[in-house]
Amino acid sequence: MTPTEELNSLMNWMFSEGLLDQQFQQLQMLQDASNPDFVSEVITLFCKDSEIILAELTKLLRDQPVVDFQKVDAYVHQLKGSSSSVGANNVKLACIHFRQFYEENNKEGCFSSLNAMEREYFRLKDKLGTMLQLEQRIQAYESSKHN
Amino acid sequence: MHRLLFFSAAAGSLLPPPPPMAALAISSCGRRALLVDDNVINRMVVRKLMEEQGIALEEAENGKEAVELVKEGRVFDLILMDREMPIMDGPQATKQLRSLGVTTPIVALSADAMQSDKDSFLQAGADDFVEKPLNIDKFALVLTKYGLQDGQADQ
Repeated sequence: MTPTEELNSLMNWMFSEGLLDQQFQQLQMLQDASNPDFVSEVITLFCKDSEIILAELTKLLRDQPVVDFQKVDAYVHQLKGSSSSVGANNVKLACIHFRQFYEENNKEGCFSSLNAMEREYFRLKDKLGTMLQLEQRIQAYESSKHN
Repeated sequence: MHRLLFFSAAAGSLLPPPPPMAALAISSCGRRALLVDDNVINRMVVRKLMEEQGIALEEAENGKEAVELVKEGRVFDLILMDREMPIMDGPQATKQLRSLGVTTPIVALSADAMQSDKDSFLQAGADDFVEKPLNIDKFALVLTKYGLQDGQADQ
């Protein structure tokens, strides 16, 4: 399989598994010659932001004797918004699922939901990393063809 | 075939700092918009949508900042207002802007808001409600509806 075929196969899989949705395609459509790094910039910021949020949620749920559910909700709301904006579908759904436990002030439920959110996020991040590597291989090949 | 992303070689490294909150893009037609949203990634996407249309964009992280911008004399052709924000939320900010005499179209943005939330936002003075995330098609509809589509501004 060529890198291009591999990339297409990976992307198709990511969409069919719900890791990505149509919003990601919208980001791709916004990328052009004047801003060729737009998608990678958005994704990089999303990853950085998400990991900060997940770390803060872990602190709030695990390290505090009394859980500040308002702060927890604020963070989950942020992550839900970001994941929705980049097309990170399963992460977004995990955030929506999380909120039902917050509404019940259910600490254990929130914690297990946080684990699910982390799993989905890192699963997505891993595949985005693979996508990057394939892109770079394709770019390198295209550059060598023109030289 | 999925469009290639062409990640930059620097992808994964620290990004340059985001533009200042009151950054203005160069506009070919004098159209100006205000985006009020506390989420940095949402702002990044909408900023790109606005750039594609050549609309000058200012940004505020919450309703209070938006109200302050207007009090400073900033005038806009369109305001996109998120619902849930710290310090001052969208409906409160909308109410205050209307009490200041602002007649600019205000389009409320929110994800999975209940009907009662939408109603309260519209009652606060918003003209319209659009579900997030904002994409190319929804954005085009908003621009057309409020006369900001490229070419419409000259009519």
